[in-house]
Amino acid sequence: MKTLRIWFTRMRVMTSKELMQLLRDTVLIIFTIYAFTLDIYWAGSGVSLSLNNAALMVFDGDSSHASRELTSRFREPYFQNVGSLSHSRDTNDVLDEGQAMVTLDIPEGFEKSLLRGEQSTVQMQVDTTNTVLGLLASSYGQQIVGRYGLEVAMKQQGLSPDGSISGPILDDRHRVWFNPNQEDSWFMSIAELLTIITVFSMMLPAAAMVREKERGTIEQLLVSPLSGFQVMFSKVLAMTLVIVLLTSISLFLVIGGLFGVPFKGNPWLFLALATLYVFTTSGLGLVIATFSRNMAQAGMLIILLIAPMIFLSGAWTPPEAMPTVMRWLMLVSPLHYFIDAGYGVLLKGATLSVLAPQLAGMCILGGLNFALGLWRFRRQFA
Amino acid sequence: MNLYRIQAVISKEWREIVRDRLFLSLAFVVPAMLMLLFGFGLSLDVENIPFAIVDRDGTQLSRDYASRYTSSRYFDFQGYSQDEALLSEKLSTNELRAYIVIPEDFEKNLLAGKPASVQSILDGTFPARATTSKGYITAINTAYSSELLASYLSRTRGVSTAEATAALSPVSVSVRYLYNQSLLSTWSIAPKLIMVILMVSPPFLTALGVVREKERGSIYNIYASTVSRGEFLIGKITPYVLMSVVNSIILWLLATFLFGAPFKGDFLFFLLATAIYVMCTTGIGLVISVLVETQVAAMVVTAIATVVPAALYSGVLVPIPSLSGQAQVIAHALPAMYYTNILTGTFLKGIGLADLWQDVLILTIYAAGLFLVGYGLFSKRPRS
Repeated sequence: MKTLRIWFTRMRVMTSKELMQLLRDTVLIIFTIYAFTLDIYWAGSGVSLSLNNAALMVFDGDSSHASRELTSRFREPYFQNVGSLSHSRDTNDVLDEGQAMVTLDIPEGFEKSLLRGEQSTVQMQVDTTNTVLGLLASSYGQQIVGRYGLEVAMKQQGLSPDGSISGPILDDRHRVWFNPNQEDSWFMSIAELLTIITVFSMMLPAAAMVREKERGTIEQLLVSPLSGFQVMFSKVLAMTLVIVLLTSISLFLVIGGLFGVPFKGNPWLFLALATLYVFTTSGLGLVIATFSRNMAQAGMLIILLIAPMIFLSGAWTPPEAMPTVMRWLMLVSPLHYFIDAGYGVLLKGATLSVLAPQLAGMCILGGLNFALGLWRFRRQFA
Repeated sequence: MNLYRIQAVISKEWREIVRDRLFLSLAFVVPAMLMLLFGFGLSLDVENIPFAIVDRDGTQLSRDYASRYTSSRYFDFQGYSQDEALLSEKLSTNELRAYIVIPEDFEKNLLAGKPASVQSILDGTFPARATTSKGYITAINTAYSSELLASYLSRTRGVSTAEATAALSPVSVSVRYLYNQSLLSTWSIAPKLIMVILMVSPPFLTALGVVREKERGSIYNIYASTVSRGEFLIGKITPYVLMSVVNSIILWLLATFLFGAPFKGDFLFFLLATAIYVMCTTGIGLVISVLVETQVAAMVVTAIATVVPAALYSGVLVPIPSLSGQAQVIAHALPAMYYTNILTGTFLKGIGLADLWQDVLILTIYAAGLFLVGYGLFSKRPRS
């Protein structure tokens, strides 16, 4: 009983020492608060990963009612008409300079041949330096033109008097679940929160550990009655406290409050999962700390792990399109599980039983990381 | 400015780098590793969307329609099902991203010349993926609809299917893809990865440079020496700039030879612009290093100031026009966006200084500005 009490006292003292050290670093604290609030707000309110407002420039060689009608259909949200061209030969220049992403070239005599029932061709030039968006823009453009053509044909063929499309066609109905209006802010603010949590939970404990090594204060801790586990775990505990506290502020004030993301599941479950995730990732940070002798080494090692984790776990890109080998590789990234769990709870209303695989994944990775970190730590200093 | 003193600071810094073997090797290994991982892994394509079909009609026409999806490379067909509740369950556990419901009397209605409604249910957690999938579905449906209409027209009017098809599409579109005709996504990604990696790695190399000396106390040697502020800072960043320029050549080689991205521009211009960009990103590290008091803070601030903007505000994942409001402002306030223009310009478009001079000029001003800020913030007479 007494030993247990002493054990807890030691943990408490060490944890509060870590907290104090963290809180005294004013620049760090200011930046941490910025990252969990304003940074997430900016990313959520301004960034959209969909194709919006592709800059379009039109060369209208016909200047007729029909050509104006067609041009006017290239509109928001997909296209944004940024200007017209007076010569067909200017198209390459505006694309080279990046003034436009798409140019539309309507030939002279467009309306006449439509009225005569002949087929006419409009030309679209698409900048495909970003292939995904280029392909999307061309697909939207083709659909707009196709639909326009069909409406004209409907009238000409006498299938429908007013040009509305009828007959044996497919009525295309979509229902989007979990985010019915595809609000980018819902997705981006959560993605950004996950990223920020990752950065901090990887860096803070690792840095606290390396600092002790670099300054030599680790020697003081080693001659104290603290165990290796206590030295390491108190750092993780202190940082987790701070990170989870800020996460809850960000979750309730920014994501729930400012962006109005409706929490389908229990936000407290999200916070519990976030705590587990912070532990797991901190373990990874501690392993790095045992490999590095100074902060510069630790920094480079952290960036080597954190950048692929953030870029490839599926926070910003759809993971389905990744090659199989890379998808397997991402199974060792704790963020991979936390993304599924995080969106699952917040947007899909997932409960703990549904998230069992993700939970298991994080627990196993966290256990391995801590075991490896502790083993290396003991070998280095015992 | 005394060249001899600058050289002394450079050689001191260089020796410190070289003697830390792990750091030295990481400085070159990290950028190359990131290039390999991102180059093979980072893909913005929406492909292999796992999906299922509920066929309530079960006729020949409905199966023919379903085959349009099952044979598409964009969709990864997981099977037919009649149990919609099960499918919606799978949608929330990420086993499916979409499913399509073909209604009863699908064939009957269409053959009778009446429309049939097809419903698709999509997972909207990732809006960009949902919008793109929706685009694919609409494209398939539109194509199928016009075939149906054409065959209906040819049956009722007694004309050939080809004539009916032509009559229904009086306007055709000829699309030309510029700069990347075969739409290879590695071509579009690989050059921009150079930007991402050079945004992340040089600041990390530099960020600890000054603050490390502050924390260890060795900065007092500098305070007490004849080295001026400017000489110290120039000497401090020069080795890192040179290392990053070497790295950028390695990255260029990986992008062109390993990932096969075409390089149509002038290599010397590319190298010059890259050197200026590297000065910018190294400068970010320098300013952070001067600003903060501890190495922990330097690392965290650098990560937040570089990793996130490199992805979101640079034009690699999100095109700049898609950004709105303050995100536009942030993008214009950071060097990454301008360098992305230079990269796509030199790699894919084959344009040079004549078209890109504005971007180069902005980067130059940026680099100079960062150095001046660092110079202004750094003081040889610390207050505390």
